[in-house]
Amino acid sequence: MTTASRDPSELPAGLRERVLAASLRARQAGRPVPDAPEIPAEEAFSRAADAFYTTLRGLDGDWTRPALRGLDVQGLVGHLIGVENDVHRCLSGDPDVADAGHVESTQAAAISHAGLPPARTRAEWRQATDRTLDLVRSADPAAKVAMHGMRLPVRALLLVRAFELWIHENDIRQAVGWAPSVPDASTLRMMADLAARLLPGAAAQAGVHEPADIHLVLTGPGGGTWDVAVGDRQPDPAAVTIVTDTVGFCRLAGNRVTPAELDLYVTGDAELAADVLAAATKLALD
Amino acid sequence: MTAKSAQLYLDDPPAGRVTGDYCPGATGRVSVRGVGGTDAVLAARLAAGDDHALADVFDALGGSVYGSALSVLGDDNAAQDVVQDVFIELWSHPDRYDPGAGTLRTYLTMMARHRAVDLVRSELRRVARQERSYRLAPVTPAPGAGDQAMAAHTAGVVRAAVQLLPVGQRQVIELAYFEGLTCREVAHAVGIPEGTAKSRLRLALAKLETVLDRQLLESP
Repeated sequence: MTTASRDPSELPAGLRERVLAASLRARQAGRPVPDAPEIPAEEAFSRAADAFYTTLRGLDGDWTRPALRGLDVQGLVGHLIGVENDVHRCLSGDPDVADAGHVESTQAAAISHAGLPPARTRAEWRQATDRTLDLVRSADPAAKVAMHGMRLPVRALLLVRAFELWIHENDIRQAVGWAPSVPDASTLRMMADLAARLLPGAAAQAGVHEPADIHLVLTGPGGGTWDVAVGDRQPDPAAVTIVTDTVGFCRLAGNRVTPAELDLYVTGDAELAADVLAAATKLALD
Repeated sequence: MTAKSAQLYLDDPPAGRVTGDYCPGATGRVSVRGVGGTDAVLAARLAAGDDHALADVFDALGGSVYGSALSVLGDDNAAQDVVQDVFIELWSHPDRYDPGAGTLRTYLTMMARHRAVDLVRSELRRVARQERSYRLAPVTPAPGAGDQAMAAHTAGVVRAAVQLLPVGQRQVIELAYFEGLTCREVAHAVGIPEGTAKSRLRLALAKLETVLDRQLLESP
């Protein structure tokens, strides 16, 4: 017998199943190495806010650089002050923010900061996020709230907010020519988890009807695996594995990169995988 | 969950960031570029906790790992145990594999060989202990057929290695391990001081380990 390149079909019966089962007893599937410690959503939001504030403090005369949607950096921070104010109203049970438009509702705040001293805008934004943290500390994380068309638990709202802060922080960093920032592994994993669990809804919104079981593998810090079913419920869904890095996937969900820009490893129907990934960009507001 | 509530409500990307053949809202297919199923991708998947990747690695390399262990051990059951140890190690500590240092095949088959060699060493120690205990208490249950085969194999390997030692060292090893003499008895039998006997034994064991490693690792 040539032992160095033995055909797997010649392996002793049952060895494959025994080895795989023993391995999975030693380490549960879906748990990354190294693992990211779990943190409360409030902590994820707080960390994202701190990172955003650090970036703002590093800006010198760059507040007038074009950043997003015709807004300069200061206008974008003004937009976020408006979002934070809507969060306060949402957490106070104000029904008027439930279906308010994300951009429309905050545009006035964005414009109002044009020409103000940057230090004042920065201080107002910090006060607004501190107020958010004060409010959520006394809120039930599982309580459902409604804001900007979303109906979701407070915990999920905080993750959405952490996600947005990170995305906009990088809009600003790009506007001033700085390298992108990456959240810590715990925050990143929570963001990735949120986006992965929202994939079926995003796929439906994007018109992906072909049923598929998506095995999503996100590599690098904050990664893990997720199994999500997309498309119409029918027997024998296609099996598709999508492997990409966690940061890239989160940027995709923030509509800051396209599927074509990701490093991907796909098994199964590649076109269906591409459609699902394109749908992930629908998680961001157009 | 409705599609509406699935939105994260992030804003538009900066103008010009949407590039290539992808356009949000378009119904056409988009193309994606793959990085292929390299060892680096497999390592990243394993680190992410992808059990599909573990199965892929087993299907691709399980045979080689088993063959590597079997070539050292010559025993099917022991080789299967080594295969299990190797894959548990890979799955529990995927970060210990460095794709830049070599292929996953080499990493796993070498690990299998090393573990098999460790098993042989352990078996040698067991055989030596057993021989000593036979001398002290001759009436013991007869070993099973598998144990006998394993012991015969390892004993053959170690006896061949002993023949490579210098005469003085070979003499003390044979007396201590095959005859079961104590260090003092060995010194008396050879006619050397006890300290010299101990020193020769240490040197002989160190050389023996090196020779056994080389022999076992280079075996086909």
